[in-house]
Amino acid sequence: MNRNDYEIVVGLEVHAELSTESKIFCSCKNKFGLEVNSQCCPICSGMPGTLPTLNEKVVEYAVKMGHALHCSINRICKQDRKNYFYPDLPKAYQISQFDIPLCENGFLDIMVGEEQKRIGVTRIHIEEDAGKLIHDDSFDGSLVDFNRCGVPLIEIVSEPDIRSAEEAKAYLDTIRQILQYLDISDCKMQEGSIRCDVNVSVRKKGSAEFGTRCEMKNVNSFSATMRAIEYEANRQIEVLEAGGTIDQETRRWDDGKGQNFVLRSKEDAHDYRYFPEPDLLTIVLDEDYVEGLKNELPELPNVKLARYMKEFRLPRADADLLVDSVEKCKLFEETLAFGKCQPKNIANWILGDISKILNDGNKQLSDTALTPKNLAELIESIEKGTISNTAGKTVLDVIIAEDKNVAGIISEKGLAQISDTAALEEIVKEVLAANQKSVDDYKGGKTNAFGFLVGQCMKATKGKGNPGIIKDLITKYLNQ
Amino acid sequence: MPLFDKTATELSSMLAGKEISSVELTKDVFARIKQVEGQTESYLTLTEEKALEKAAEVDAKRAAGKPLSKLAGIPVGIKDNICTKDVRTSCASRMLENFVPPYDATVMKKLGAEDIVVTGKTNMDEFAMGSSTETSYFKKTKNPHDLERVPGGSSGGSASAVAAGECILSLGSDTGGSIRQPASLCGVFGLKPTYGSVSRFGLVAFASSLDQIGPFGRCTKDIAMLYSAICGQDHYDATSAYRKYPSFLAALSAENAKSLTVGLPKEYFDGVDAEVKGKIEEAVRCLEGAGVTFKEISLPSTSYALNAYYIIASAEASSNLARFDGVKYGYRTPEYDGLIDMYEKTRSEGFGDEVKRRIMLGTFVLSSGYYDAYYKKAKMVQKQIMTEFDAAYQECDVILTPTTPATAFKIGENIGDPLKMYLSDVCTVTVNIAGLPAVSVPCGKDSKGLPVGMQLIGPKFSEQTLFNLSELYELQSGFSYQMPLL
Amino acid sequence: MEIDIKHIAKLSRLKVSDGEVQKFEKEMRAIIQMVENLPQLDASGPLIDPQNPMKLRKDIVDHPYRREEILKNAPKTQAGCVVVPKVVE
Repeated sequence: MNRNDYEIVVGLEVHAELSTESKIFCSCKNKFGLEVNSQCCPICSGMPGTLPTLNEKVVEYAVKMGHALHCSINRICKQDRKNYFYPDLPKAYQISQFDIPLCENGFLDIMVGEEQKRIGVTRIHIEEDAGKLIHDDSFDGSLVDFNRCGVPLIEIVSEPDIRSAEEAKAYLDTIRQILQYLDISDCKMQEGSIRCDVNVSVRKKGSAEFGTRCEMKNVNSFSATMRAIEYEANRQIEVLEAGGTIDQETRRWDDGKGQNFVLRSKEDAHDYRYFPEPDLLTIVLDEDYVEGLKNELPELPNVKLARYMKEFRLPRADADLLVDSVEKCKLFEETLAFGKCQPKNIANWILGDISKILNDGNKQLSDTALTPKNLAELIESIEKGTISNTAGKTVLDVIIAEDKNVAGIISEKGLAQISDTAALEEIVKEVLAANQKSVDDYKGGKTNAFGFLVGQCMKATKGKGNPGIIKDLITKYLNQ
Repeated sequence: MPLFDKTATELSSMLAGKEISSVELTKDVFARIKQVEGQTESYLTLTEEKALEKAAEVDAKRAAGKPLSKLAGIPVGIKDNICTKDVRTSCASRMLENFVPPYDATVMKKLGAEDIVVTGKTNMDEFAMGSSTETSYFKKTKNPHDLERVPGGSSGGSASAVAAGECILSLGSDTGGSIRQPASLCGVFGLKPTYGSVSRFGLVAFASSLDQIGPFGRCTKDIAMLYSAICGQDHYDATSAYRKYPSFLAALSAENAKSLTVGLPKEYFDGVDAEVKGKIEEAVRCLEGAGVTFKEISLPSTSYALNAYYIIASAEASSNLARFDGVKYGYRTPEYDGLIDMYEKTRSEGFGDEVKRRIMLGTFVLSSGYYDAYYKKAKMVQKQIMTEFDAAYQECDVILTPTTPATAFKIGENIGDPLKMYLSDVCTVTVNIAGLPAVSVPCGKDSKGLPVGMQLIGPKFSEQTLFNLSELYELQSGFSYQMPLL
Repeated sequence: MEIDIKHIAKLSRLKVSDGEVQKFEKEMRAIIQMVENLPQLDASGPLIDPQNPMKLRKDIVDHPYRREEILKNAPKTQAGCVVVPKVVE
């Protein structure tokens, strides 16, 4: 028996922090990275006597995600308390949703290689985040920062439809893209704004029954998710191969060690004593409101990908790269909207030079001064032969730094090419006359003399000659 | 001339007419406190300095001709589970012995805007769990009408302070009878408002779906006036109702109550002390004399109400009181070995036995395997009780019952027997379960000289009707509050 | 009716000493025997009350609290944080 006789079954619970202005149950600012305990009030720090009030944006964002994942929206739902003691949970209960989530029974189509696969989405519910514990070895205790308490979360629970680490990665990437397209989450892994719990089981191929699953907590990146799945599947297969059985337990993934450890067994499982949150009334959503949000949805990444490939004839690799970034797509489409340049050329510039500049400077497009209009004019100037590709890079440097007219830059920097055939013809004639030896060499079969002659012509035009026209002219005269 | 024994309505017009000043009034009330507090032990914290400052401020405003509310300058006691900014709010628990809230409850903001003078924070059963104020960690409040007896609870301090003249009005909270029962036992008026009419923001939660803050006073007008000041929608409380409220005092009309039909639910008279029953019957005859119509009605699920109440209230309490864990505020055990030990020791040392019993009962009824049989079933009973009240209000406008099955019991008499103590709430809990308003109106004394109270229960948001009927009874019976000799 | 006081106490984060177990067990049994007397009602549906819809709050930031106000009641603080015994999970 070996690994290939087994099938991996994975279900994912993705927690995404929503990028609302204020927290879910109070008016504190929802912002990461500020000074400890500076974004708290009596409500989110769980003071006696305080009460929650639900932020309408949280419901709106969750419903949008529900629509994007083809869920049915429960227009009548409620919130429940999940009770457990932990220092980062000041009220000692988390306000979440138990038996009636806001959204349920949806799906997500993902691309695994060239194949499309549909993953079921069990539910999406809204809840509050907990605070943060800070551990410091220099000191015998843990510190609690309540800033993150009450940051709104949606939990997206998948069906156990995922069959490999690769599929899990594709699922997570697509979820992340959709969150970004809806502009409802920052999706910054390093800030913990998107996290996931991973449920893994294995079974013999062809078996209709699911194996016993283990849940892994603390999986903080998508790549860690892949490693965690691989590790856990192998661990379970080894146990089974050795004649053992899998215990349903919660395990903690340690990405540094590349291992997981038992956190608690089934017997120790928490009894959360869920009950309806008495401090909040029923969430009742108007049908028009819910349908209206559906109409507000932008084109989603999987749809966009297909359209880019079909409509603009972009290669899959280009389309993938563009679709992966909301702001790059936006730039692409807005540049294209000027209607003067080729889609492939726009894609090349965005994915080539522009991306390189962003990566090198660790910047976002929004950090630059680049406008679609300037980019369209730049590409148009190249397509028309007004400037060379090389000169184009010089122009790009300028328009990334400041919003400046492209034609102005070209004339200011003297970047315009000589594309006047009559003028270039004179120069070509002169160069050929002055380099009879090379002309002879070429005619004698030494074709590399051609390059030399082009170079001489470019030199004579101080680099501004349109190399395409020059090449055509040299060819014409040499073949006379 | 003493002022402490007058009603807020009287004092309000004396203040408005500049016959007396707020400082004079406040000083008089504090003199009374100094005289009797040693006997009643109504307060946990006195705020004399702040009170005199506020009184002087009100006098200055009045002198400057600024418009003032009717309540301006009236000394009011506040139950110690209502958060008061920069004034300790202990809930009568060791757990919050040193807790000083950084914020004001919404009712305190409202009363601040009305320029009331806060006398201090009144004693109560620990976290409002109890019916005698004996579970307070700090002291046992005495009934001013008989110092060997309990004032009732959980708002015992608020009731006894008003009854003894240690404040003119007070605020309490009522989860299962905690305003009405002590009002009845202390011979004063107390209103448990419609759920959702008074903001709970800043009220340390016992059972969120049942708790309401309400007023105590020595006449109908006084509680109507204080209720008008505290009710209203609050965007900090999602359970607060969106509606406009009139001035209940201005609209008060005993005349309007004469045409009412009042229901007497037979279930509420089972097991009631004969003397109490006699007083209630007298009150009924008195109102009949004024033209009120009475009819017998039935609320068959009443016998289950107490059970459903203890399940729902304890379930919510177990969750509401989980935050007291020694981490962010309140008591923390001095020595511990790790987190769990810290939690367990802190909570075991910080809470008294009654609180622990309710937390454990609540934990049990919510725990895996028991939720459906207890919590969920209790919620279904709650629905049934609501339906029965709705049906009853097709037949009558107001329901009249005894507030308590018996008059004040002796200190220590019931404390060893939780079940016996729970039974003193039997007439009041249904009102909380159904979210209805109810007032307790004093209606005479038994042969021991102990006050008896009757409870008037109305449909949701019918406070005006209850006040009208209470006022009619006052007028018809010639009631006037008799301050006990202390 | 079996009541596992130790288990309930553990869930409640209360320490019940061996001496107290019997007392609490006896009291709890009596209380539970009282409260479990409830009529047979259909309890199959979810507990939800659509008659009472909730108004939601606008997403507006309002932050009037300073850290000192939030931490002033904490039993132990350090570096602007609340201190708790070391936790690992």
